[in-house]
Amino acid sequence: MLDLINLESYYGRSKALNGITLSIPKGEITGIAGRNGTGKTTLLKTIMGLTDDSSGQIRLSDKDLITCPTHERALSGIAYVPQGRGIIPEFTVRENILMGAFANRAGKRSIPEIVPELFPYLADNMSRPGGVLSGGQQQQLAIARALAAEPDVVLLDEPNEGIQPSIVEEIEAVILRMKDDLGLTVVLVEQNIGFLRRAASSFAMLEKGRVVEAGKIDALSDEMVERHMTI
Amino acid sequence: MFDVLFIGLSLSSILLLVALGLAVTYGAMGIINMAHGEMVMLGAYVSVLANIWLGANLLVAIPIAFVVTALIGLVIERLVVRRLYGRLLDTLLATWGIAIILQQAIRLEFGLSFFGIHVKGLGSGLQNVPVPQALQGTVSILGQDLNAYRIFIVAMTLVLAVATWAVMYRTSLGMKVRAIIRNPGMAAACGIDVKRTNAITFALGSGLAGVAGVLMAGFKTVAPDMGATMVVDGFMVVVTGGVGSLFGTIAASGLLGEFNALVAMVSNDIIGRAAVFAVVICVILIKPAGLFTFKGR
Ligand SMILES: Nc1ncnc2c1ncn2[C@@H]1O[C@H](COP(=O)(O)OP(=O)(O)OP(=O)(O)O)[C@@H](O)[C@H]1O
Ligand SMILES: [Mg+2]
Repeated sequence: MLDLINLESYYGRSKALNGITLSIPKGEITGIAGRNGTGKTTLLKTIMGLTDDSSGQIRLSDKDLITCPTHERALSGIAYVPQGRGIIPEFTVRENILMGAFANRAGKRSIPEIVPELFPYLADNMSRPGGVLSGGQQQQLAIARALAAEPDVVLLDEPNEGIQPSIVEEIEAVILRMKDDLGLTVVLVEQNIGFLRRAASSFAMLEKGRVVEAGKIDALSDEMVERHMTI
Repeated sequence: MFDVLFIGLSLSSILLLVALGLAVTYGAMGIINMAHGEMVMLGAYVSVLANIWLGANLLVAIPIAFVVTALIGLVIERLVVRRLYGRLLDTLLATWGIAIILQQAIRLEFGLSFFGIHVKGLGSGLQNVPVPQALQGTVSILGQDLNAYRIFIVAMTLVLAVATWAVMYRTSLGMKVRAIIRNPGMAAACGIDVKRTNAITFALGSGLAGVAGVLMAGFKTVAPDMGATMVVDGFMVVVTGGVGSLFGTIAASGLLGEFNALVAMVSNDIIGRAAVFAVVICVILIKPAGLFTFKGR
């Protein structure tokens, strides 16, 4: 589905990814884990073309996206839910969601039908500015925005970071539904190994911009977590 | 007093048309476009040439100038500015160079003067454009006799400001521009073609400046270097109003235009300008981000 081959990526002159090769299976959740600053966010940014420079291959259904500008990658069916959520504070909830629809390949510019069901709060507050929402609500908004693109692949960067526990469960349920009901391919950066084990089918562990362990989720041992994730 | 405020309002109007383009190119794209004043100058020359060669009056010159300066803006964006995104000082120098080239192009009549060919309406001399009959004289409003042409300037600006607002807040192009102003990376990740949107925005801003030039031609002499002061005034409005705030740009245009007119009334034009500079400096010292800025970020 999505094949990353020997990806390198740069911020200015400093190299943040050191040749990442990873195969992301279609219609499943692939977990990305690792300590702080190991390049998880950079990996997702590189897939979107948002770092200063990059090389290697990003093959999405056999088309290489590495030279494509960011908006073309979005229009190829990749949606991005960034770590800071990237909500536009002055835009209303509706506008924030419709912003995602610029990447809708069918040209549909509407709130996805599934949004009221997944996120009733958003549906009831369409005219509020995105900036006044709580962290968890903004996270939901960022996911709704990604869904408005009707993508094939969704990149989620620590969707549960800094979110009140009551919403964490909801978001986890939504991520599972994205895979099960919408058939999406999900790349999930996540520190919560418990959730990864429940949700993901495969994983990659990063260290210093490299993949140090990868495989089926069953192969993710406590010893690996100990070695690559404890500080 | 009322007529001075009214003259101030017409000055504000011109300022606003110039500043709108700057506010968006600076706010959305991080470009200091020193050639923006030359769009005013070129707009004014379009009205001069349209008058001499087509017999067209100012009203007809407005749409022509809009299209011509928008296209020139598009070419400048494509050839130069596009390569310089994210390099603020480089855009300043490069566009300053473009400004000088454009001024000289008018002075040298696009180079034709080297061959002894002279184009009426171009060259380094001063030009004048007659105000159409219908806009001459005064109109009486609320017992005040107001200059008809200045009323026209204010009305035209009102229409264009409302149109700009509608484009920014009621169209998908406007939504793209606003998204790019706040978060260009996220905008691109949502499928927005940032370069294309920027190019269109740049062209529209240049077009508005061109219209401002036509309006100015009706009450000022037209000269190749008339744009240089306009770009300075435009940037004063942008920094006073706060970068990225349409409302701030409108308010600051009103403030500076009126202040200029009021001080000029009790003293003279030069002191009026100096007073405006003083206000701007005070604003920058007290509120470096401008009077009206986004909260947070
Ligand atoms: N905008 C940037 N400019 C320069 N260097 C950066 C930038 N963003 C990240 N880096 C560097 O790149 C490396 C990888 O950072 P990245 O944000 O990808 O880590 P991460 O795994 O997502 O960490 P976290 O768990 O804290 O989110 C780090 O060394 C970081 O300092
Ligand atoms: Mg990160």
